[in-house]
Amino acid sequence: MSLLDRKLLRDLIALKSQALAVALVMACGLAMMVTTRSLILSLESTRDTYYREHRFADVFARLKRAPNAVREQLAAIPGVATVQTSIAIQVTLDVPGLPEPAVGLLNSLPERGEPVLNRPHVRAGRLPLGRTTRGELAVGEAFAEAHGLKPGGAISAILNGTKQNFRLSGIVLSPEFVFEAPPGAALPDNKTYGVFWMPYKELATAFQLYGAFNNVAITLAPGASEGEVIAAVNRLLAPYGARGAYGRVNHPSHRRVDDEIRVLQGLSLAFPLVFLSVAAFMTNSVMSRQIALQREQIAMLKACGFSNRQVGAHYFKFSFAIVIVGVLFGAIGGVYLGHQLVEMYHLFFRFPQLDFVLDARVLVAAAAVSALAAFTGVAGAVRRAVHLPPAEAMRPEAPASFRPALLERIGGARWFSASFRMALRNIERRPIRSGLTCLALALATGILIVPNSFRDGIAYVIDFQWDIVQRQTVTLTLVEPGPSRAIADFRHLPGVELAEPFRFVPVELRAGPISRRLTLQGLPERGTLSRVIDAEPRQLTLPARGIVISSKLADILHVRPGDEVIAKVLEGRERELAVPVIGLAEDFAGMAAYMELHALNRLLLEGDRISGAHLVVNASRWGDFLHAVKQTPRAAGCVIKNSIRDGFRKTTGQSIGLLQKMYLLFAIIVAFGIIYNSARISLSERMRELATLRVLGFSRGEVGAVLVGELVLLTVAALPLGLVIGAGFAQGIIASVNTETVRLPLVLTADNYAFAILVVACASALSAWFAARKLADINLVSALKALD
Amino acid sequence: MSAAVHLPHPSSAPPAGADREPIFHVRGLARVYGAGTAAVTALRGVDFDFFRGELVVLLGASGSGKSTLLNQLGGLDSPTHGTLLYRGWNLGTTDESGLTQFRRDAVGFVFQAYNLIPSLTARENVALITEICRDPMAPEDALELVGLGPRMDHFPAQLSGGEQQRVAIARAIAKRPDVLLCDEPTGALDVHTGITVLEAIERINRDLGTLAVIITHNAILADMADRVFTLSDGRIVNARTNARRGSVRELAW
Repeated sequence: MSLLDRKLLRDLIALKSQALAVALVMACGLAMMVTTRSLILSLESTRDTYYREHRFADVFARLKRAPNAVREQLAAIPGVATVQTSIAIQVTLDVPGLPEPAVGLLNSLPERGEPVLNRPHVRAGRLPLGRTTRGELAVGEAFAEAHGLKPGGAISAILNGTKQNFRLSGIVLSPEFVFEAPPGAALPDNKTYGVFWMPYKELATAFQLYGAFNNVAITLAPGASEGEVIAAVNRLLAPYGARGAYGRVNHPSHRRVDDEIRVLQGLSLAFPLVFLSVAAFMTNSVMSRQIALQREQIAMLKACGFSNRQVGAHYFKFSFAIVIVGVLFGAIGGVYLGHQLVEMYHLFFRFPQLDFVLDARVLVAAAAVSALAAFTGVAGAVRRAVHLPPAEAMRPEAPASFRPALLERIGGARWFSASFRMALRNIERRPIRSGLTCLALALATGILIVPNSFRDGIAYVIDFQWDIVQRQTVTLTLVEPGPSRAIADFRHLPGVELAEPFRFVPVELRAGPISRRLTLQGLPERGTLSRVIDAEPRQLTLPARGIVISSKLADILHVRPGDEVIAKVLEGRERELAVPVIGLAEDFAGMAAYMELHALNRLLLEGDRISGAHLVVNASRWGDFLHAVKQTPRAAGCVIKNSIRDGFRKTTGQSIGLLQKMYLLFAIIVAFGIIYNSARISLSERMRELATLRVLGFSRGEVGAVLVGELVLLTVAALPLGLVIGAGFAQGIIASVNTETVRLPLVLTADNYAFAILVVACASALSAWFAARKLADINLVSALKALD
Repeated sequence: MSAAVHLPHPSSAPPAGADREPIFHVRGLARVYGAGTAAVTALRGVDFDFFRGELVVLLGASGSGKSTLLNQLGGLDSPTHGTLLYRGWNLGTTDESGLTQFRRDAVGFVFQAYNLIPSLTARENVALITEICRDPMAPEDALELVGLGPRMDHFPAQLSGGEQQRVAIARAIAKRPDVLLCDEPTGALDVHTGITVLEAIERINRDLGTLAVIITHNAILADMADRVFTLSDGRIVNARTNARRGSVRELAW
């Protein structure tokens, strides 16, 4: 080790707490970068491997019923490599221990061999394969875990009106159900929705579908055009009640994983940049001060023949040492957070194995970015040091010149005490440093706004979705749309006080070149249970003509009320109609479109039909009601509002809790670090001044107040600025999180602001107190000594 | 501050000469830094009494112990042995906050390097101190006393060395201290400027009856004192009383 390096090491040890503060802020940015980039890598690589090994299809189609012979025609479509046809049907389940009925999506397994596409991954037990297997089901892992189901366990399902008991043969995963939730759901509710696999013959026979299929999966040949294949599939399946084929991008499960990756990509850039900028600024402050203190040493080194390059390198090494510590902490923090977040992903996504994979490239990139930030931070100070002529450096720096602060110049002078004036003038004399300190504190405040705006947004969504929009107790759906008189049957179920019918029909809405598939809901003109609510929020009345769509959908289709959209019905008789958009609805999950029930039925030309009903059930007869529903053959689905709401609250609560902790830690580190460093630098710069004050009779507390007065003013200025910045962060992040599947409103509450202010104020106060403790070390006699 | 501390106020003291109760009563004062073989003895037992209205000069070369003595008198450091009484109050056993209170109320310091707060104007530098002590004079009056009335709204960087030192004197006297402790007050000044500064100290001592203690290595200053003590190797090696105090202008510059 050269002697210059030994000096470096000792200087670093002397400055350890400040260097550590900088390194920690840097580590926050790096940890975030490492976590997010590694999670992207983990998700992408895991997903791609899973898809490849389990042969996830490229094109999917649902239809009413087509004979198996059509499969050959599908296979003959140019560009199609493999075709798999099957049956997929939604049924009501009776799960041991669950009072309410659950919904199960039953998928058929081929009569011979294993599935060629969308192959289930067997976690435990086995798949119920073979022509002769009967009375066995394989269950999706999420549902099994939610109910503690094991292979060998039992479950009952109502198949086409007949209750049947099944034995669980195994627990499986499927690339089709990485996100195991009913279509359109914002979050999985594994208690009430599950996916199952059973032999084709048994399922087909139960629904009189033997020799036919209603579900298609296709892989494309290399170079094939997905669009052309989808068009050909649609043409071929049109007579069979096709609901329109779609590619992977529109696959609900795939899309959710994609959305998550997109959100991570946004986060992986924005926040790390913020933290690294703050760290660069802090490095600059520390190094500038260090170089100012070592003026004479620099002069001596140069006078003794050290080159500019050697002196410059010496100080750069100083900042790189900080970078090394920052990268180390950042990597450790990033890996730790990454593991925590991967755990969180297990709540949402089901992969055979989702491990945290450290993206080593990002570590290198992160180190390079931090080094660059530190380099930028110290370049100016080092350049000044290097260009200092030795003779000049030997002389002490000229005394600082001051002038009255702006506030005093505009007439406030007589109101201020001498120490307040010192603070004001110190701030004004170094506008850039003061501005950046203020900005960094504002950023710390702003960071805190983000997770709580998520929390408040989710609380708003919960209230909005389940108090304002949906006021039913339970929603029952029929196996098949049936005549509207079925509503009378629902009304006769035990405890039902109110029943309102609805009709769901899959459609494709198109405006110009853009189209989306979704469920068009037919509802009563002005229902009291499931209501159509606008952004106000106020209830919209559905007129006899026209359609109300989600405002997100309106954005995507670029339509406004008054414009027309083309609605293509994807079920039963295929029809295409132009309907005017007459209003925009507010909703936060998926995309929806609403029409008045009778108007919809007229459009469908199927007579008065309903898909199910929303019900209000008297709590005292809840048990009877559930029992009756489990026995009702025609009810295919039963969605209990409160259980969905609770599931949603629990799942979001866990993930938001983690985010809150993470951001809280980051904000505290930044606030603490920036104040500590500023106070220490101020202490170092004003040591003589403060010692003089002590000699003149100021108590330690009074001198402490003079020391931190400036920081108090900066903090006070930073807090409101931070709230504005935080609102901006929240808006930006919420905008990036807002996808077609999930959206959050921007909700900013006084509680949120108050919490952010409290945390930053406390962290700053504590940090200032820590730094001010150094005042005890002040050498009073030093004040008496001459400067030279 | 400790509640027991009640400082006698200078204005309650009798006029110079009549008062034979010393302001400082010092006996066998010693200060040793460090311990064992590394121990360095800076003061080896000094005895004296300083009285109100006196101007005392402490002479000595670098390392003679004069700064250590000044630190003891100013409440910046505590003795290792001996008695150090300020108006009968034992400073040697006073705690940190008591010493702070002592400095705040009783002592005016003048430093070699002025030690003004660069971010405050001349007037504000004085006001900074008058804000924290009882019964101060108006900062403007203190600055008038040192002849800086017209420049009181200038910042330190806009003042000459002599002017800065006079601001420091105004700051020291604005609290109406019992004691003015000056550490090489002209050390950083040229002769002409030094004279104006010493005149200011002399006037304060004469007009307000403040005990002024000046430490210096410049023997010429001895002629302006009532009494002169010469220190060497931590001891008082010579003490003399001038029959007549010379005026600053008469000193053999």
